[in-house]
Amino acid sequence: MTSLSLKGIRKSYGTLPVIKGVDLTIDSREFVVFVGPSGCGKSTLLRMIAGLESITAGDLEIGGKRMNDVDPSKRGIAMVFQSYALYPHMTVRDNMGFALRFAGKPKDEIARQVAEAARILELGPLLDRLPGQLSGGQRQRVAIGRAIVRHPDVFLFDEPLSNLDAELRVHMRIELARLHRELQATIIYVTHDQVEAMTLADKIVVLREGEVSQVGTPLQLYDDPDNLFVAGFIGSPKMNFLAGEVVDSGAGSATIALVNHGGVRLTKPLGGRLPQKGERITIGIRPEHFGEAGEGTDIVLNVDVAEHLGSTTYVYANAGGEQLIIEREERHMGDTDTLAVSISPEAALLFDSAGKRLR
Amino acid sequence: MNFAPLRRAGVYVFLSLAAFISVFPFYWMAVGSTNQSVDIVRGKLGFGGNLLVNFQHLMSQVDLYRVFGNSFLIAIISTVLTLAISSLAGYGFEMFRSRIRERIFELLLLLLSIPFAALMVPLFVMISRAQLTNTFTAVILPGIASIFMIFYFRQATKAFPRELRDAARVDGLKEWQIFLYVYMPTMRSTYAAATIIVFMNAWNNYLWPLIVLQTPDNKTITLVISTLTAAYTPDYGVILLTTVLATAPTLIIFFVLQRQFVQGMLGAVK
Amino acid sequence: MAQTRLDRGEQFNGWAFVMPALVLLGLFMIYPIIWSLWMSFQVGRGANTSFGGLANIQRLANDALLIKALINTSIFFVIQVPIMIVLALLFAVALNDPTLKFRGLFRTALFLPCVTSLIAYSSLFKSMFSTDGIINQVLLTLHVIGTPIPWLTDPFWARIVIISAITWRWTGYNMIFYLAALQNVDKSIYEAARIDGIPAWARFTRITIPMLKPVILFTTILSTIGTLQLFDEVNNITQGGPANATMTLSMYIYNLSFRMMPSFGYSATVSWVIVVIVAVLSFIQFMIARDRRRAS
Repeated sequence: MTSLSLKGIRKSYGTLPVIKGVDLTIDSREFVVFVGPSGCGKSTLLRMIAGLESITAGDLEIGGKRMNDVDPSKRGIAMVFQSYALYPHMTVRDNMGFALRFAGKPKDEIARQVAEAARILELGPLLDRLPGQLSGGQRQRVAIGRAIVRHPDVFLFDEPLSNLDAELRVHMRIELARLHRELQATIIYVTHDQVEAMTLADKIVVLREGEVSQVGTPLQLYDDPDNLFVAGFIGSPKMNFLAGEVVDSGAGSATIALVNHGGVRLTKPLGGRLPQKGERITIGIRPEHFGEAGEGTDIVLNVDVAEHLGSTTYVYANAGGEQLIIEREERHMGDTDTLAVSISPEAALLFDSAGKRLR
Repeated sequence: MNFAPLRRAGVYVFLSLAAFISVFPFYWMAVGSTNQSVDIVRGKLGFGGNLLVNFQHLMSQVDLYRVFGNSFLIAIISTVLTLAISSLAGYGFEMFRSRIRERIFELLLLLLSIPFAALMVPLFVMISRAQLTNTFTAVILPGIASIFMIFYFRQATKAFPRELRDAARVDGLKEWQIFLYVYMPTMRSTYAAATIIVFMNAWNNYLWPLIVLQTPDNKTITLVISTLTAAYTPDYGVILLTTVLATAPTLIIFFVLQRQFVQGMLGAVK
Repeated sequence: MAQTRLDRGEQFNGWAFVMPALVLLGLFMIYPIIWSLWMSFQVGRGANTSFGGLANIQRLANDALLIKALINTSIFFVIQVPIMIVLALLFAVALNDPTLKFRGLFRTALFLPCVTSLIAYSSLFKSMFSTDGIINQVLLTLHVIGTPIPWLTDPFWARIVIISAITWRWTGYNMIFYLAALQNVDKSIYEAARIDGIPAWARFTRITIPMLKPVILFTTILSTIGTLQLFDEVNNITQGGPANATMTLSMYIYNLSFRMMPSFGYSATVSWVIVVIVAVLSFIQFMIARDRRRAS
């Protein structure tokens, strides 16, 4: 199998830069997800790997060979498109065998490959139908089948689930994970949905405005984000952010006053750079990491709404102009107007005014 | 008081009258082809027994097979070439964007409204200098690159998914193969509608053939009708029979492919 | 900036696809137009031509026949186009009513004239409008007229024949544009208007017409160009007569160039009159559309 490497990859349309220098290695058999908000350049980056968009600067290597100027069909990749892009005038069978036909493969081999892919994806009964006669989920499977038939080194997926309804999306997600295990293939997958990224990826690449914001496993990104953007983007419901100000700093720890909560203080041990006294800080804490009152730095919140989901309860609350979400395990919150919770130093993540994490 | 039923009746009367006026000339044409000229001029409304006589008169004046052959040949070649050239250009303008080509396209749109009358004199001089008068090449060539058809195909191409081209590129097709094996089959109904319109325009073309075709050998059906009509004592039986023959192909196409026909007429507007 | 192989390929393909059309258009459209500008400064007949400076332009001003052709074209335009567009709109609105019976039949019937060639239908009209012809017979029988109308030999009536003929041929064509546009109009707008108590006539003038404005403008432009092109019908029915009452611009250029001794230089000058008229009309129509859009 094949690894990929991107070195200083850039792309601009005229003078407008859209990819501003991406360095990345993708190992063989890895399931890598590019995730980010729309316009972050994730699809462009994927299309550059596919050879559908030109690379303005930098080197793209697939399997150790420089591929910048190689035709898409000769890069050892296959792609599944957002709209599936099935040829509407061809049967499922012909759609899947089309690339092999143009690669000059003999008829019986094409038939064998198509049958094999149809078996894996359970498409057998649909082979003689036209794409127009298929449901969304079936088209999706045909699009994947068309990729499988070519035995590519790398599979590229461009937001493949975004045209499916919620239920089917969950189903296809599991299907894709199974396929990855079965095919032992390298997969690069683009999505704007961080849940898809979290559930599918071995490695997530968070992109923002044409730059890599952070690379890591799903749990690394969740537990240990490098910056405010990743912290806010990964996780649902979102991480809470509270404004703070450094009141004391030194000897491997900083003490922060929560300015919107009566200036209560929190002391956090830090291994790296220590912030200056008076510096503005953002404190991040995940909804499930709030403790019971009395266990750490306490804050009192006004409850807006409590959502009972059965296994957990999300409490939407505010204090000092900050909206917060707290996850609680008890099923019945009762009709309280206020809620006291605590923030422990271990659960609190600190970010400086540039959004960079303080560790 | 409720006026609705009255208004509804008025609508039916209005539409029926309009429909009658629209259809009556067709009836007149069919009836006329079976009558003698004197009866037609007197407004006879029933079918007569003169059809074969009219036909013989027509055959004695023109080589009908040749005339029909000429018209079909010109119309078919024009249609094939026009569709090929215009769809290539429409696809090219839409799929491969560049600032220069976008400017060129805007220029073409400006030229769209220049009437043929403004071109015919210099075109004729060009054709006669190239010694192409009285050839089908002269009839066909100037009309092949139709701005209207380029515009039509560009508009239609907007509905052609870009990802289909991307998928074909990943599948290893060259650009011309994508056009041939993916674009053309996908756009079948667009081509069908365009075929009807271009064929009909070529079949019905009059002014330009009138200018460049001057020998009886290569006359088209429209030229024959106008020659017959311009006679000092026109034989209307023969004329109406010829119009029946000239209208029949387009009428048949219309009834068989009504939907595509209308779609083609609407063309680039959507 | 260095271009990659892919960028160069895209550029190459972009030009390759449009090039055949551009070459042909350059050769058979742009070159003739520019060349006719040069020709329009040539005087003389047949092959005997020489540079005449502004002589042809001076001749334009004193050309009574050209003025006549311009007036005729304007008459056809001013009278025929509005009648046709109003009729086409009425047909379209009537046919757009889903509760109407025989919709398909009416639509097909009204559209049918578009199928005919200009030459074929004009021959038909010539036969119908002869002095003892069917039209006069019917009008006499219905006592609309006392004596037969000299359709093709009287200047006034000859124009009426041409106007009727064009209207017959092209109303259905315009109608389908309006029908297609009406089908794209959200039905709930009309439902809302009915609930608000807007009467039918006001729904037509205040909702339908404004919504169809772009299509109406488009068909008006098409009809304008059509009027300037008018040739087949007049050449076949009246040959520009009687007394040049139906002479059109196209026909005049044709006569100048191909009847008797050709005067290509001067006919090129007249061709440029058409180009200028088209340019001016397109500009005016564009401005009207923009002003209306601003006002609304």
